Amino acid sequence: MTRNGISRLAIAAFAVAASASLAWGQAEPLRIGAINPYSGPLALYGDEVSRGYQLAIDEANAKGGVLGRKIELLRGDASSPPQGIATVEKMASQDKVEVFVGTYISAVSNAASDSALRYSKVYWDTNALAGDLTERGLPNFVRSGPYADSFAEVSVAAAKDVLAPALNKDIKTLTIWIEHEDSIFGTSIAELQKKLIEKLGGKVVGMGAHNFRAIDLTDSILRAKAAAPDLWMETGYVPDGSLLLRTMRDQGFQPPAIMMVATGDTFETLDALGKEYLEGIAVVGYPRPDQTEAYGPGAAAYLAAYKEKYNRDPIAPQSMTAYAGMQMLLEAIKAAGSTNMNELRAAAAKMDKPLKSYATGFGVKFDPKFQNTRAFPTLVQWQSGKVVTVYPKDAAQPDVKLVNVPRK
Amino acid sequence: METFLNILISGILLGGIYSLVSIGLNLIFGVVRIINFAQGEFVMLAMYATYFCTTYLGINPYLALFVVAPLMFVFGLAVQRTVLQPLQNEPMMQIFATFGLLILFENSMLALTRGEARSLSGSYSSVLIDVFGLKVSGVRLVVFIVVSGIALALMLFLQRTMPGKAIRAVIQDRQAARLMGVNVERTYLLTFGLGSALAGVAGALLAPIYTLSPYIGGNFILAAFAVVVLGGLGSVPGAYLGGLIVGLIESFSGYYVDPALKQAIWFIVFVAALIVRPSGLMGQVGAEEVGLREQT
Repeated sequence: MTRNGISRLAIAAFAVAASASLAWGQAEPLRIGAINPYSGPLALYGDEVSRGYQLAIDEANAKGGVLGRKIELLRGDASSPPQGIATVEKMASQDKVEVFVGTYISAVSNAASDSALRYSKVYWDTNALAGDLTERGLPNFVRSGPYADSFAEVSVAAAKDVLAPALNKDIKTLTIWIEHEDSIFGTSIAELQKKLIEKLGGKVVGMGAHNFRAIDLTDSILRAKAAAPDLWMETGYVPDGSLLLRTMRDQGFQPPAIMMVATGDTFETLDALGKEYLEGIAVVGYPRPDQTEAYGPGAAAYLAAYKEKYNRDPIAPQSMTAYAGMQMLLEAIKAAGSTNMNELRAAAAKMDKPLKSYATGFGVKFDPKFQNTRAFPTLVQWQSGKVVTVYPKDAAQPDVKLVNVPRK
Repeated sequence: METFLNILISGILLGGIYSLVSIGLNLIFGVVRIINFAQGEFVMLAMYATYFCTTYLGINPYLALFVVAPLMFVFGLAVQRTVLQPLQNEPMMQIFATFGLLILFENSMLALTRGEARSLSGSYSSVLIDVFGLKVSGVRLVVFIVVSGIALALMLFLQRTMPGKAIRAVIQDRQAARLMGVNVERTYLLTFGLGSALAGVAGALLAPIYTLSPYIGGNFILAAFAVVVLGGLGSVPGAYLGGLIVGLIESFSGYYVDPALKQAIWFIVFVAALIVRPSGLMGQVGAEEVGLREQT
């Protein structure tokens, strides 16, 4: 090759390389900080939630990113509130994070969002459940996912629309025992459940509080057994839920219907109890990818994308809620044209999409406290060792039926 | 009546669980005079070791006991020799060291398991046995029988054998024992190893009952401390009876008063017993004062 030829080739190569990087390189990547526990006992869920974020981000980047910028997800480890504060401070000041998302632990979200406010960054929470996060009225906080009240509402609605008819009763004649773990999480949900049931004319025959770390829960089960309820509803975490179910089995307490709220729908519970015992147990949980396409558009595509990228089934349904929440955030950023706190929140306030717009079946419409009023969990049921969506009716696949209610 | 019997049996079996976790702690507390904060973690490690044996080696958990307990014995020897013996003139530091071990073990298991809770496969936990017409959980009954056997065996060991007598001598007065020719360091090693092996037995027997998580040790340890002090420092029958008492109180108050208050109630009883009899129910009167005071 001639000298001229080589230099032309070099220039051409350089030009190609330069233009390739120009396509992205012109603009700074848009950095989103994900505040979650990535170490500690809940690291599993922090990871899982982030997988949902990453899938939404990958989708957006494949379409050119947002505002012409590539989106980058940075992980900020926080298993405790002080850690949350420190992580946000570092990310906002050193890592040039422009927006924060999170957070599997409500207490962490509380502290971290407060910290983010000092840097005037929006804290877009996709997963934390505590009511006070939106009650506070922080000017930078937005919650795209359901919250504790939504779980309570769906549990009572499901009791009325699904379980009562399966037992040939209606909500007024159904006797219900409400069991809950004794921190703010369980107590707030239980109190709202009681209020909603009584408003419908239903009968709460008793309420029981337990510590989720208890070594023995025989007393809680014996008390519920003495009340002989039609439906036993429990809100708690995984260890206490599993211990309660095992104790029920040992004590021969067999209520006609069992509903767990917020936990009890993952492989951990399956491992602890086995699929025969779990058959027919209903769980109010985050929406799942087996929903119909009509209810949750893109749910099946989400599942396929997850399996392809991570080589396994989703560990917990929280990831799909995180995925939908991230999609909403990116739409809001696009509508606002920036990540500026006030502009982004104003753009979010204008968002209005009906239910069934996202893979989770959510819509988006924020109330004045920036809680998404169109985000609800669904009711699933254990059937042959698998978790199947059964309610709302249009979320369930057409061939799905309720099994084992009343319990044999 | 049936409910009462049910609660009674449930309380006794729960007491068995508490006794099992506390016996090792009590021995260590009485002899080496340190509060082994990591005792709950020893139980947790033993539970995971049992899970490993059953899941990957296919061994029945009750047979895995004979693998896990000796392993934990050696582990306890190693901990005593490498971490605690160098600190033996600094009892405060020894306490911090055991607390450090607690954090180390918890987080190591967390890193290994990535926080996924696990349960033993197999249907051990669903076996029910008929006792006086009531259905009783088989796995818990086994715990109770084994801990009763262990308590008896330990008592015999302490009364009849030379190493046992050496241990009792060190419990009473470390200095005097040394003067009488007891090798105090060797006794510590033996005791810590034994306490750790007992935690191993506890872990193997409790693994079928609970969902395993790296933090499960902490669930037991509070009650274990109460049992140890209630029963009396260094007293094996004390740990056994203390466990039963705590279990029964918890079971009865949980059902007849309120499940949310049951821990508070046995804590009140524990504090009251301490005020009335600080050495614990069956401890050597005066032994509690020796406590953490520096001994040469």
